[in-house]
Amino acid sequence: MTKFLAIVKREYTQRVRARMFIVTTVLLPAAMLFFGLAPALMMTIGSGNPLRVAVIDGTGKLLSRVQDSLAHDKATGAIPNGTPNQGSDFGRENFVFEEVKPGTRSLTDVTAELDQRLRNKEIDAYLILPPDLMETGKARLYRRNSSEIFSRGQLQDALDDAVRQQRLTDAHVDAKTLSALQRPVAFETTRITAAGNEHDSGASFPLVFGFGFLMYISVLLYGQVVLGAVIEEKETRIAEILFSSVRPFTLMMGKLVGVSLVALTQLAIWGVAFAGFGLYGINLLASRGVPARLPNIPLSFYLYFVLFFLAGYFVYSTLYALVGSIVTTAQEGGQVAMPIIILLVISFYLFFPVSKNPDSTLSFWLSMVPLFSPISMLIRIVTQTPPLWQIALSLLFSLAFGTLLTWVASRIYRIGMLMYGKRPTIPELVRWVRSQ
Amino acid sequence: MRVKDSWHIETLMNNNDITVHLDHVTKRFGDFTAVQDLSLSVSPGRIFGLLGPNGAGKSTTIRMIVNITAPDSGSIMLFGKKIDSDLQDRIGYLPEERGLYKSMKVVDQMRFFAALKNVTAKEADVRIDRWLARLKLSEWKQKKTKELSKGMQQKIQFISAVLHEPELIILDEPFSGLDPVNLELLKDVVLELKQAGKTIIFSTHHMIVAEQICDDICLINRSQKILEGSIREVKSSFGRNSVALRLEGANGNLDASPLISKVARHSDEIEVLLAPGANPQELLRDLISSGATITKFEMIEPSLNDIFIAKVGDAQ
Repeated sequence: MTKFLAIVKREYTQRVRARMFIVTTVLLPAAMLFFGLAPALMMTIGSGNPLRVAVIDGTGKLLSRVQDSLAHDKATGAIPNGTPNQGSDFGRENFVFEEVKPGTRSLTDVTAELDQRLRNKEIDAYLILPPDLMETGKARLYRRNSSEIFSRGQLQDALDDAVRQQRLTDAHVDAKTLSALQRPVAFETTRITAAGNEHDSGASFPLVFGFGFLMYISVLLYGQVVLGAVIEEKETRIAEILFSSVRPFTLMMGKLVGVSLVALTQLAIWGVAFAGFGLYGINLLASRGVPARLPNIPLSFYLYFVLFFLAGYFVYSTLYALVGSIVTTAQEGGQVAMPIIILLVISFYLFFPVSKNPDSTLSFWLSMVPLFSPISMLIRIVTQTPPLWQIALSLLFSLAFGTLLTWVASRIYRIGMLMYGKRPTIPELVRWVRSQ
Repeated sequence: MRVKDSWHIETLMNNNDITVHLDHVTKRFGDFTAVQDLSLSVSPGRIFGLLGPNGAGKSTTIRMIVNITAPDSGSIMLFGKKIDSDLQDRIGYLPEERGLYKSMKVVDQMRFFAALKNVTAKEADVRIDRWLARLKLSEWKQKKTKELSKGMQQKIQFISAVLHEPELIILDEPFSGLDPVNLELLKDVVLELKQAGKTIIFSTHHMIVAEQICDDICLINRSQKILEGSIREVKSSFGRNSVALRLEGANGNLDASPLISKVARHSDEIEVLLAPGANPQELLRDLISSGATITKFEMIEPSLNDIFIAKVGDAQ
């Protein structure tokens, strides 16, 4: 046990102290903060100055409707079915309209004057609504900065809206009928479980998807680390000393646990940062009128999430350890490890059949097979929670399978380390595992 | 040649006194036989030299003794017991393939290796300081391994092998690549360990060092043992059949003499190997009668180097 702990400790402290670890651990949340907050901040800056728009309204009816439409958007926070949220101007442009009446002057004279004002930066844009707009559906916008798409889009939406309203009014449809016609359907889903009915926010699916993604990323990231850790002693020729002191299994398990603790440390730091930003971000969005809220997920899901993540991570890490025990260099390992990624991707795609039919025989067996069980079982738990014994059995299988793989890897490693150079064939590997 | 055959049989009867005993051990790698039917015994408190040319099977033998690989047939007993991982803690091993964690500090590295041998951290720290001082490495304690020279790394590795104060110390080519000063230092340390009652096995193909510090030797070539015994026994069995000569004039006809089988000319003297059955007195008379002035005529023992070359050369 002392020896095992010594190996775990060395793997952990050496890696956690490494500059690379510290940089990536800090950098990711920092990048997240930057990419999360920067656009929001930019928007705030942009909306500081209202866009000054001169309008020549040839129809004489549309400008007021455009203004109404923009004011309405602003009041509702642009969310069609959201609750009105006063004072929220998140991402909204403000417009200041100035109606220009050509009077007796020709349109050419007026536009020439407006062009001049545009160049002098007295206005930011001007809009010509020709008298035949209602028929042709064509309007013209002139502006200095044509690459800025947000205000253009808003203006266009507002104009669309105004024209539609006007046409309906022209067709004698009143506003009340109109809003009645446009009311959307609200869909309320309820999950029937053994425990009773509960409100289903639909947030469990993103959770499982997120889980699959997290598995994928962490196996991809740390699988290489496990591979490197196993090959390290082979490349540096330290393995001989280690094997003259510890059992191969102790060494292999110590390495796996050490590297896994490093991975979990990093994921935990990221997780806390992510949760922090998430809560802050949700509050921020909510205060700006975006209807974001925390998914309604039972606490037990989070527990299963962690348990199955650990199980899945363990099994996939041992696969990398196995590859590490066979090859002699990290580069070679990268190639041999390809099938592991494929397995992981397959297990990810099983999401679809299992979530469609979580109680089928296929789903049952998939959720028992160690390589596929983490994602499959989690889907089943989220959709139609299976009996506890199935969950426990699935975890147990993963644990047993991972331990077996570690044992096999350690046998191969012990013999393979003395044979540098050529990669062993599969019959040779089998012989090594079975040898004394 | 089995110099110690009679002694060998005796020791089989009371194995408990023997630190390491190999009994008809064979190890193959595929079609290649690395060690064939090797038997040897290492007595406690002695320095045992495992000698042989490159590729003779020395490292494979050592790896079997430290339980890294297992023999295909035959048995190995350590301290009178079959090897297992508990016994491993009583062995210190310096492998031929040196390796240290490059970016680990010297002191952390040593603590790690000590922990692997069940030495407590507190005890390890005391011993680390003592050993670093003894091998003149104290100032490097907090440095990373990659900043050290190769010779220093080798000394670090040596310390790592003996830090847990094992009863049996196994050193595979411990002196290779060391400068003369460090070679002397390490030789002294090995002799001190012997004084402290440790049993030491080391392999080398450097006969001069082996001759200086070994009590017993075993010479293997092409996976087989060709001789075994104490240095004394081995040398005397070869007899005094060499003559060191220093003479002026008329040394040209040495090569033609039927009494001589081989002539080796060094800078200021000549070493000749007598033909089987030749009488050295006769050679002396011949030389005087040929008109040479003889300033030195000395019967010498063959060096371990000579024995090595004779034995290994014969086999090839």
